[in-house]
Amino acid sequence: MTTLRMAWLITLKDLRVEWRTKEIIVTTALFGVLVVILSSLSFYLNPTMSRRVAPGVLWVAIAFAGVLSLGRSWGREKENDAIRGLLLSPIPRPSIYLGKWLSGFILLCAIEVILIPLVAVFFHLDLIPVAGRLTAIVGLGTAGFVAAGTLFSALSARGGARDLLLSVVVFPLIAPALLSAVVATRELLAGAPLEETLEWLRVLGAFDIVFLAGGYALFGPVISE
Amino acid sequence: MSIDFSKVSTEAVTKLYGVTRALAGVDAEFQAGEVTVIEGPNGSGKSTLLHILAQEARPSSGLVRYDGRRIRRGRLRAQIGVLAHQSMLYPDLNADENLSLFASLYQVTDPATRIETLKERFHIGRFAARPARTWSRGQLQRVALARTLLGTPRLLLLDEPSTGLDTRSVELLIAAIAQERTRGAIVVVVTHDQAFSSEIADTRVRLKQGRVADAPLSNEALS
Repeated sequence: MTTLRMAWLITLKDLRVEWRTKEIIVTTALFGVLVVILSSLSFYLNPTMSRRVAPGVLWVAIAFAGVLSLGRSWGREKENDAIRGLLLSPIPRPSIYLGKWLSGFILLCAIEVILIPLVAVFFHLDLIPVAGRLTAIVGLGTAGFVAAGTLFSALSARGGARDLLLSVVVFPLIAPALLSAVVATRELLAGAPLEETLEWLRVLGAFDIVFLAGGYALFGPVISE
Repeated sequence: MSIDFSKVSTEAVTKLYGVTRALAGVDAEFQAGEVTVIEGPNGSGKSTLLHILAQEARPSSGLVRYDGRRIRRGRLRAQIGVLAHQSMLYPDLNADENLSLFASLYQVTDPATRIETLKERFHIGRFAARPARTWSRGQLQRVALARTLLGTPRLLLLDEPSTGLDTRSVELLIAAIAQERTRGAIVVVVTHDQAFSSEIADTRVRLKQGRVADAPLSNEALS
């Protein structure tokens, strides 16, 4: 219980800082919007092709926005060496991981709320009939992406090469999950039946469990000397 | 877990960072109700010793005993307060928000009263509502000191606490250290500031190239 309560305090702290500065939401959402608009201008041919291209564009925008937001979130922990304050406090180490994961997840979901309708508009997609399943795919994909990203952002925040390490390590690691999310979204937009979507959701759910359990267990050793 | 913290000692503590030897067999003892100042030139291992006492780093060899016992790393964090050169405060939060966050993390009983007491003690009220990034160095250090004392630590570790402070802030710092000593805390201070050191030190340990340069000297012996 203590772990979850302390994690929630850290999430609230992150959300309060973001509410005050709007820094992560504004910069990463603008970047994501730029990716969507430029991609639609380059790749949009006709409604059939757009259903194949849009999932890739959406997930590229989410992945880049995610790397930027996680990097900035952990950058805040480096200012004034605030992360040391957390590490010195008598809380279980995994609570820091869970707290940062949850705030990262919430912030990236907020960015996705902007990006998904934008993809629908620029690629002429009617997402309303598949909104429930799309939300589940994006939610599970985001959870896994942030779970892996949070662990490696922490590692790089304690070292020197923050964004470089994050990009180099996180993308290969989450590639299977990201690929699953892209294919699941593509199949969904192509009219796949519910059973097929559920298969992909199971795959994404399994990735989430592995990444979250790995992050929970490894965060302490990773962040300590 | 909780212990009395009547004494902390290091026995032949060595710390290696790769091939660099930061500490080389340090034996030292820190008593409750006493202020020990650790002196020495840059790179002599002062801050490394504080890291090890705070259980932030493991010694490469040697032992640290708390009340004569070896304690597993991380178990004593609630009873240890660390003030470093960096404030460890969130720049976008104000004093109340920063202190409330850490009071919750330290599970301080009656946090509102404790925070008000510390704010009054360190004259934080005037700028408490502004975010930390707008404060001066002295104001930042005063709130950092309040953060350090929130959990009423038994072992207080201060790394260059007077750097960049004006006279008024140094006076507040000296008074706070005296108060903590009277309360019975073990206070260990790393400083280059000789005037500040002579104001607070009961005992001095001088490090040179990772070793204790000479036997610890009491302030009386020095004078």
